[in-house]
Amino acid sequence: MKMSKTGLAVIFAAYVLVPLLLGSNSYVMSLIVAAMIIGGIALAWALLGNLGGMVSFGHSAFFGVGAYVSAILTMKAGVPVLAAMLLGGVGAVVASLAMLPVLRLRGPYFALAILAYAHIFKILATEWTSVTGGSAGLASVPRFPTLMGFDLSSKTGSYLIVLSLLLVFIAAYRVIRSSHYGIALRAMHDSEDATRVVGVNSTLLKALMLFVSAFMTGVIGAFNVHYINFLEPDYAFSGLWVTLPIVAAIFGGYRTILGPLVGAVTVYLVDQLIFKNLIPSGHQLILGALLVAMIIFSPGGLMPLLRKGTRRKHAAA
Amino acid sequence: MLRLEDLSVRFGGLTAVNTVSLSVGTHEVVGLVGPNGAGKTTLFNAVSGLVKPSSGRILFDSTDMLRTPLHRRARMGIGRTFQIPQPMHELTVRENLIVAQRFGTGAVDARKIDEVLEFTGLTDKAERHAATELALTELKALEVAKALATNPKLLMLDEVLAGLETNGKRRFMGMLKELHEKFAVGILIIEHDIETISNLCHRVAVLNFGELIADGTPDKVFRDPEVIKSYTGASDA
Ligand SMILES: Nc1ncnc2c1ncn2[C@@H]1O[C@H](COP(=O)(O)OP(=O)(O)OP(=O)(O)O)[C@@H](O)[C@H]1O
Ligand SMILES: [Mg+2]
Repeated sequence: MKMSKTGLAVIFAAYVLVPLLLGSNSYVMSLIVAAMIIGGIALAWALLGNLGGMVSFGHSAFFGVGAYVSAILTMKAGVPVLAAMLLGGVGAVVASLAMLPVLRLRGPYFALAILAYAHIFKILATEWTSVTGGSAGLASVPRFPTLMGFDLSSKTGSYLIVLSLLLVFIAAYRVIRSSHYGIALRAMHDSEDATRVVGVNSTLLKALMLFVSAFMTGVIGAFNVHYINFLEPDYAFSGLWVTLPIVAAIFGGYRTILGPLVGAVTVYLVDQLIFKNLIPSGHQLILGALLVAMIIFSPGGLMPLLRKGTRRKHAAA
Repeated sequence: MLRLEDLSVRFGGLTAVNTVSLSVGTHEVVGLVGPNGAGKTTLFNAVSGLVKPSSGRILFDSTDMLRTPLHRRARMGIGRTFQIPQPMHELTVRENLIVAQRFGTGAVDARKIDEVLEFTGLTDKAERHAATELALTELKALEVAKALATNPKLLMLDEVLAGLETNGKRRFMGMLKELHEKFAVGILIIEHDIETISNLCHRVAVLNFGELIADGTPDKVFRDPEVIKSYTGASDA
């Protein structure tokens, strides 16, 4: 896979400069980690939208299931935290199996059906008290371990974990997008019949994208629970885990890979640092208004807007 | 190779295809003609799996197609073109063929794709964006190329010559004749032009209001009074 010089410089800065310069400021680090958590979900959500052509309002289910699976496995089965996080992703994939029947639905119907499914998991987490702790939730969920003398549960350690997760997600997204599956998924967008008659199993490909997206979201949910160390149904399955990423992904441009991440950092920081001070409660209303404006003025999001100059030249060639 | 037994397709109260029995042998070229709205395209859609027959059977190499999912029919050897060209919109011409080949045959063979591009005259357009940068003749050629890339045994062509100017038509005709030999396919072709059909086909079947009203050699069929009547009724089309 090709990686640009700018890309390498950004990765270097993210791994070395950010911890060195900001690592001691725990408020700033926690803002960054929170933004990256939103970014991870936004990336997973955008992958499903961009490659699978599906709009999901149910990603909070994957986030919550990933969190619960990982928390329970570490607390009740003694599974090491880092392994449990991956299993949290697997748990989210299993949860997404329940959503397969709705794959046949299109557009808003799919979005609504998946939203209903999401609610089912929240009820499950609330009622299955013996395992999930019910509405009281789980306290003292294990922290990240210390690895070779380095405390991963510190702000900087957690930051490095989520950073690494995001980089793996980006790499996986790029591999999928340029694979034959990725090309076939792109082909399906406006030409599903034409694509199916040459032998593409469109339902299967969409299901695979749902699995990948669910896995990523579940891992992020698992990361988050070991980062904050507690869990309750209302928090784990909160609608914010999907609305904020959607705003971020659309704001940044959901058809690009980096757009949702840039969008997440921008949206989250602007929301926390500016809007929250202006209107302490209900500040998310401003995000909604911005989103509407964005969809009207630049339906492709922020990234395409930034790149417009270069695109134009390219298209003319 | 392909056998339809009493095939019917109904849309609500409309019977678009009405108890049609028809077969296409390996390496045979069969014309499918009939006035507008006769049910020709619907018959193709039933064979390729885009519409569900209401009754009857579709057998391909003795396999029941009604139990075969749509996407597997390409692998079995059923290829088709669309009357209104349907390129895969977001892709280049070459990517269109890559998808067709990878999913229609299970393998990737860049040489074969170059060969198909060459044969259909699309080599120069290979890296062009399929939906926005092709002329009608090229879009029609891409329809054929996509189908060929899946390595079909049966090629169903839906009015691939319609709308082309005389020269383009002649070149396309030449290509179709050569294709039959070179790729060793059986062909089922929908076409309005009697001369084209007579020139190309071993056999011709005539649909009228969804019913098969004639099936035989072009010579015989085009002299059948009933066929002539259905045809002159729609000759302004
Ligand atoms: N998906 C559909 N839903 C409802 N009616 C349909 C559908 N597809 C076709 N029809 C109807 O079925 C009949 C047969 O249509 P079809 O397209 O098969 O005709 P055709 O023989 O291909 O005509 P043409 O020469 O104009 O292409 C028409 O009356 C058409 O309106
Ligand atoms: Mg037709």
